[in-house]
Amino acid sequence: MTASRLLERLLQTLPVLFGVSLIVFLMITLTPGDPVEIMLADSRATPEQAAQLRADLGLDRPLPQRFLVFLGNALTGDFGISFFHRRPVRDVIAERLPATIELTLAAILLAIAVAIPLGVIAAVKRDTWLDRALTALSLFGVSLPGFWFGLLLILLFAVQLGVFPVGGRTDFDLEVARVTGFLLIDSVIAGRPDAFLAALRHLALPAITLGLPTAALLTRVVRSAMAEVLTSDYVLFAEAKGLSRRRVLLRHALKNALIPVVTVAAIETGSLLGGNMIVETVFGWPGLGRLVVESIFARNYPLVQAAVLLYAVTYVMLNFTADLLYTALNPKVRL
Amino acid sequence: MYWRGRVVACSLLLFPGISWHDKGEREWDAARGMTQNHRETDMVSRRNVLLSAVGVLTTSGGAFGQGRAREIRVGVSQDALTLDPANHRNRETQTVIRNIHDGLLTRDADMRIQPEIAESWRQIDARTYEFRLRSGVRFHSGDVLTADDIKFTFDRLAKNNAMSGQTSPRKGLLGPLEDTVVVDERTVRMVLGEPWPILPAMIPFQEVVNRRQLERVGQDGMQTRPDGCGPFRLTEWRRGEAVILERFAEYYGGSTEIPVAGPAQIDRAIFRIVPENSARIAALLAGELDIISELPASAMRQVEASRNAQVMKVNGTRSFFVALNLAKKPLDDVRVRRALNHALDKGAIISRILNNTATPLRGVMSPDALGFNADLPEYGHDLARARALLAEAGVAPGTELVIDTTAALKEIAEAIAALLSRTGLRVRAQVWEGAVLNPMWQNAERRRDRDMYLTSWGNGALDPSDIMVPTLRTGGRGNAAGFSNAEVDRLLDAAETEAEQAKRADMYKRAQAIVTEQAPWIFLWLPQDIYGVARRVQNWRPQADSRINLHRVRVA
Repeated sequence: MTASRLLERLLQTLPVLFGVSLIVFLMITLTPGDPVEIMLADSRATPEQAAQLRADLGLDRPLPQRFLVFLGNALTGDFGISFFHRRPVRDVIAERLPATIELTLAAILLAIAVAIPLGVIAAVKRDTWLDRALTALSLFGVSLPGFWFGLLLILLFAVQLGVFPVGGRTDFDLEVARVTGFLLIDSVIAGRPDAFLAALRHLALPAITLGLPTAALLTRVVRSAMAEVLTSDYVLFAEAKGLSRRRVLLRHALKNALIPVVTVAAIETGSLLGGNMIVETVFGWPGLGRLVVESIFARNYPLVQAAVLLYAVTYVMLNFTADLLYTALNPKVRL
Repeated sequence: MYWRGRVVACSLLLFPGISWHDKGEREWDAARGMTQNHRETDMVSRRNVLLSAVGVLTTSGGAFGQGRAREIRVGVSQDALTLDPANHRNRETQTVIRNIHDGLLTRDADMRIQPEIAESWRQIDARTYEFRLRSGVRFHSGDVLTADDIKFTFDRLAKNNAMSGQTSPRKGLLGPLEDTVVVDERTVRMVLGEPWPILPAMIPFQEVVNRRQLERVGQDGMQTRPDGCGPFRLTEWRRGEAVILERFAEYYGGSTEIPVAGPAQIDRAIFRIVPENSARIAALLAGELDIISELPASAMRQVEASRNAQVMKVNGTRSFFVALNLAKKPLDDVRVRRALNHALDKGAIISRILNNTATPLRGVMSPDALGFNADLPEYGHDLARARALLAEAGVAPGTELVIDTTAALKEIAEAIAALLSRTGLRVRAQVWEGAVLNPMWQNAERRRDRDMYLTSWGNGALDPSDIMVPTLRTGGRGNAAGFSNAEVDRLLDAAETEAEQAKRADMYKRAQAIVTEQAPWIFLWLPQDIYGVARRVQNWRPQADSRINLHRVRVA
């Protein structure tokens, strides 16, 4: 793919992002509920104080002006001040984002690691009891409510067996200098295997909870893609050529079966990133999802707008990356 | 094999100390001159390494409850919004801040007002209070506290734009406080714009900050780098996860009226944020947390049944009620309002839904508050009387009424609706989002078509002025019922400026009698705050203002 083609694809994402910004802005500002009233609830503020606060927050200006200001500032990376933290939204998000990304990546990697072998086995052993068992299991996995499953894991592994912690990101007596905000990476930078293991131990249950439904979904995708590929002529030819079963499966069949898997994995990564509020809440994981939910209830406009925009950018970029991966997996695909 | 080799190679790069080899068996083996036998034993040892890695990952977690003999972990549902005592209106935030900063006055577990940084205080006249400070009080930075810090703290709270250009959201809690005057190094006077007898009851809501800290760290730094003079200083604030505090060895000892004065008896205190109720309970039962707040009544038995934790309860300060829209028919008729009070079987809800963790109320006030009127008549549960009153008021059976509430109170609202419907009225509950509902009911025009509002009002000061004035005085900011009674207004106004507490109490008692008689609300109950507490926690009990003060706590 040429550089100009790449640039063109990137430029195509701009209207999408503009549309998302506008929709989010309208949705949150037009939802009933006034942040100033919420902030001053139960307090003895006078109407003058309320008006002053409204002006301080820039909420006294007309909607179109507010949107333009938001858009202009967003282009320079300035998303305003979080109403209830009274600090820049950018800082607040930057504090929380690494935790969310770390959890999401762990979950998706776990899901892929589980789904590919299981999906391949199910496809190879198609219509046997093993295939049916795996299909049933994956249906179960897809239907598990994360909220319930997470609590179940906590009860079993933390309360009964005491082998994993109930929540949080790491032990309290471990302090690792914050460089990237990703605890696993930071503990490597600091050369601290103990901190690395502690972070991993805290990551285990939330990552399993978040990753399991995705693993189940991906297993089904791998199975059906693989099953289709296995009936194709070139696989038959490869087998006829006398290649080992293993080589045919992994080199010839799996590689081609991965295209739909990559698509689904990319979309899933996006939705896990934006949809992990429940897991973050259950495990007390200090991520962005929880913050966004709290912000929606408090009508903390700047933070919600910035976070949703961020989700949108991530989504678009993940799809873009998936497109790039297709070309690597199948040279016939052109962007 | 390729990816596995990668992983192992990476882990070798990451932790050179851990000897774990794999990748490219043939190359490795060749390089090391390995035979088949060697390779088998190598496989075994590799498996052992793997197993022990899993072991490290899991078993080292088994020691969660150990190795923290002098540490207390408190599980709370929300993170602090800031660590600047002047810049929030949030209970959870204050719970954390209060362990870092002390106040001029505080409250003991029985809610009595006690001197803390102040050694004593006295009222000089109706508008002037004098506070004498303890000597030798130090901030965590080592600075010595003086009267100038008290003036700085209260000016920053009570004066317009005094918080680096902004006005403190806590200003309203200090009423007509006009100025704080330094008399000498250990004496300050507070001057009020008008008499306000509840000043001493409101001072415990404020914490003292170091004026030099603002110069050092600026307004933004005040949010995250507190320099208090409380029993603990900040070690680390992990946003959204935990606030970690350590013992401040030079602590002056706190209030001498609350035993045992002195530095904290634990080395470390951690406030951990666990938003989910079930997860908070699980952490308590697993020994990961020592004190958890907001324990649901339904989980009390589970906690009591565990070996290492118990339930502790305290009367809260929040009165629950159903505000009746007095501007709307048929609720404008006092007979209808009394009928609703008679119709509701409060006892059934308290025992079946609230697990007997609430005290029924006949009026507005908590039994613990100043001026509580214990002689109020009761609207006993009496369906026949309720029906008779409704008939007398000409309300047709089948008349529809709606109770507005938020999701948190849905279950209770539905129970109330069902019980009220036994009169023949058709009552149902409607759930709203708090952000929409509360402002709507605070505005007479916007609530015009609404009937009833299941809500509550906190009274942390345990003084009628803090609850009756906002909710029952004409035009009060929380007067959702739209109640307006000239005699009640007169009594409330007079009590606001009456310096003698006994006379004030009497005025409030008379006002309560009128309110109960006029029944602008269906009077409900005062819930208890329920905590789960590890049995190893000693010398701590919950207090009505929901503070979790760790000044005196010990661990067994």
